Amino acid sequence: MKLKKKTVMLISFSIGALLFASTALADIVSKSGYEQLKDGLKTTAEKCSEELDSFTIDISMEVKNNGETLMSSNDVSKIDRDNNTQESLSNQKSINGDNYNSYNYSDDKVRIRWNEDQDTYYVTELISESSPTNFVNPFDEQGAEDVERIMDAVVGSLKDHVMVKENPDGSKEISGSLSEMQIPALINAVSSFQLKQEFNGRQSALPHLTQDIFVKEVSGKSLINSDGLMESMLGTAILSGKDKQGQTHELSFEVLMKMSDINNTEVMKPDLTGKKVVNDVERPGYGPEINNPEKFQGLFKNDILIEKDGKYVKIGERFVEITNIDDSSIVGRYYEEYRTDYEQYAAISQEFKFDANFENDKRQANFEYSTEAGNTTNVNIYLDEYLGKVNFHINQDSGNVLYDSMFSRVFD
Amino acid sequence: MNKVIEIKDLTKVYPNGRGILDINLDIYEGDIFGFLGPNGAGKTTAMKIMTGLISADSGDVRIFGHSITEEYEKAMAEVGCIIEVADSFPFLSAYENLKQFSRYYPGVDDQRIDEVLEITGMIKFKHEKPRKFSLGMKQRLGLAAAIISRPKILILDEPLNGLDVEGMIDIRKLIMLLAEKEKTTFFISSHLIHDVELTCDRIGVIYNGKMLNVDRTDNILQNYATLENYFVSEVERNGRVPSSTNQ
Amino acid sequence: MAVFQAALINEIEKLYKKKKVMVAIFISLAVIVVGQLIIVGMRTGFGLRGVGSVEFPILVLSVVVNTILPLLTALVAIDCFSSEFSNNMMRVTLTRPVSRFKIFTAKVTTIVIFILFNLFVLFAFSLLAGFLFNANSATVAGFFKIVLSYSVSLIPMIVLALGIVFLANIFKNGTSVFFVSILGFLILKAGAVLFSQYSSLFITSQLDWYNLWLASSFPFSRIGHQLLIMLGYGIMFFTAGYYLFDKKEY
Repeated sequence: MKLKKKTVMLISFSIGALLFASTALADIVSKSGYEQLKDGLKTTAEKCSEELDSFTIDISMEVKNNGETLMSSNDVSKIDRDNNTQESLSNQKSINGDNYNSYNYSDDKVRIRWNEDQDTYYVTELISESSPTNFVNPFDEQGAEDVERIMDAVVGSLKDHVMVKENPDGSKEISGSLSEMQIPALINAVSSFQLKQEFNGRQSALPHLTQDIFVKEVSGKSLINSDGLMESMLGTAILSGKDKQGQTHELSFEVLMKMSDINNTEVMKPDLTGKKVVNDVERPGYGPEINNPEKFQGLFKNDILIEKDGKYVKIGERFVEITNIDDSSIVGRYYEEYRTDYEQYAAISQEFKFDANFENDKRQANFEYSTEAGNTTNVNIYLDEYLGKVNFHINQDSGNVLYDSMFSRVFD
Repeated sequence: MNKVIEIKDLTKVYPNGRGILDINLDIYEGDIFGFLGPNGAGKTTAMKIMTGLISADSGDVRIFGHSITEEYEKAMAEVGCIIEVADSFPFLSAYENLKQFSRYYPGVDDQRIDEVLEITGMIKFKHEKPRKFSLGMKQRLGLAAAIISRPKILILDEPLNGLDVEGMIDIRKLIMLLAEKEKTTFFISSHLIHDVELTCDRIGVIYNGKMLNVDRTDNILQNYATLENYFVSEVERNGRVPSSTNQ
Repeated sequence: MAVFQAALINEIEKLYKKKKVMVAIFISLAVIVVGQLIIVGMRTGFGLRGVGSVEFPILVLSVVVNTILPLLTALVAIDCFSSEFSNNMMRVTLTRPVSRFKIFTAKVTTIVIFILFNLFVLFAFSLLAGFLFNANSATVAGFFKIVLSYSVSLIPMIVLALGIVFLANIFKNGTSVFFVSILGFLILKAGAVLFSQYSSLFITSQLDWYNLWLASSFPFSRIGHQLLIMLGYGIMFFTAGYYLFDKKEY
């Protein structure tokens, strides 16, 4: 009897342990729907960036109000990694009913952009090496794992709502749907609040939601083919709310992404014969560093204004003269000149020389100078390569004279 | 006479080396058995095993033929006991405390609760909570709880602990009364030799975890002037033989 | 069975007399009142619906199931065991003609009844508050879903309680059991975040499994798995807890 009690306990505990272990093992071995969805995304991203020769991606979005389309957009991108070419066609219907189309083509030598309004093709010849089809797999980026972990935590127990249906041909259908009851209250409140800001009535064509706003449903569906590629993904969210008149609006947001013509997509360079064409050569882009800072050597100026009798009047000019510039330092002089009628302003006029070292980016330099009164003031110099101007900012109160810190080149 | 308690080869050794060793003891119906021994001799250990509070290393206790380890409910069905301190739930009134225990016995009703409160002189504290009780009052309440089921056997570990003289006399009277009227069998441990001499009709001496001797009180008193003399001589006689628990 | 019934009634009486139940009701009520105030504030302040009358009880459940419900359950579970261990009160109960298995089971059953009661109080109060303040979208289906959610929430709470009972039988001191329980709870919660792929194996992640029951496409296999895991945990905790309880010396 005594032995029996112990045996019973042992058996009972073993049953519990067995039950737990077998289920746990099954859980770990078989991937959850959520894990399969992630795998699908990862495989797709990996194949798109490394393996596939060509493919077409079609992304469309639509926002509806009580079933009536408010806005929509559709983007078709054809990507041929083999030939390093890419073209994309997009169409957008804005909330005001405007229809906007655009087309882009690019390969390693040329970029073509079509402007609908002017019906003109802008052809930009590329001077730098370019590979328009070279993606970086987002899952290979630094920190991707951390982001994934955070996502997992945010998704939390909701991941149990992801269902998988396996088809006989090896493809899988992953779907999930959350009704208002399952969406965690906090998430619902925060997202409702965000969306309420969107539908605040400032855009007249949008319904102005003021009360009873909540996320009604969120659902998603994805098709993964037998190769593990995500062929389509559909996401829907429905927001419900009432406007001032008490009328209920159901706003639905839909995003559909489709991938097709895998290894079978042909990208065609547009035939421009007989079309309006503007030719252009690529400007060297905004590099991380300025390659020849010497181009900034010279005189820069801007105007000093005052407002007088309801008009702007120019009372003088401010000058920055860069006398010496190289990779590490910038040397020059700052001074102001006033027109003879406004000599009284010259009393506050400043003039100083500077010799400053660039920061790491070789665009920017900071220094201090002392005024005659003995105060020190900070000055920031920024070379704007894109505009060809110098931003020379003196940290001081401008009083009632008007000027800014952008200086333009003075050409003789 | 019927054997009501049968203790066989009972051994229990604590990690510190103390405990009881190979105790054999039979209690017969109607006995008022005095379990005599100094503090730490193993009285409480033996009684805890008898009431199922701790388990023995080996050996067994049978009450009315039911093994305490295997048929606990049957063995304890007609046993009342107080082990070490007569505790009660401080957040329940005296009545509620007794009501708790009464639920385990089919024949015990509220009238019986009043009865035992009356017997132990606790009736006027029926609806008070033991939080405010003195040690003696708690002991009386514990006794009331022990006898509530009209048990055929009462196992009392130091029942006079904390009682004043009046209380001691009361309890002694009660034991005599129950033994006489209800033919209750008693198993009482005490370190108060005088008290045992007055109450018990059979006496067992335990020393260093071993049973030294069991005899009838009247037999002992024929050979020794007092029980104390008997106890001292028993201990002396066995003390010279080094007991195994002391090694 | 009569003996078990007696033991159960005794345990319930003890729990009731200790006023723990009143504390539980009070805290539950406070949570609902605070929750309702937040909702009302959100609605008037931001125009968000927050919740409808149907979802308010679910919202309450989603909050309490990870906070006060485990907390109160832990308090009661610890109280049922540790307070009697420490005061030697166990002797009083144990020396009656009732087996330790029945006492253990009676105590566990009492804890289960407490959880059930606490859930019911939360259910009733939140439903009432929902109807009083958010009466704009109540449906029979919604009501059924609330009943379902509250009912299935009992199961993970029982498993959690059994875990705490097991702990209470390891450590003698109630305070240490309480802190170990809280620490364990937090560790499991954090573990579920860090090792999210294994989160279904942690008992704390099962606490809001009622969500699964509400899913629009009923996830049979997930629910089955979770149930089996909880059953496994439950049996192990119960057996281990009883083993320790039975072995204990007083």
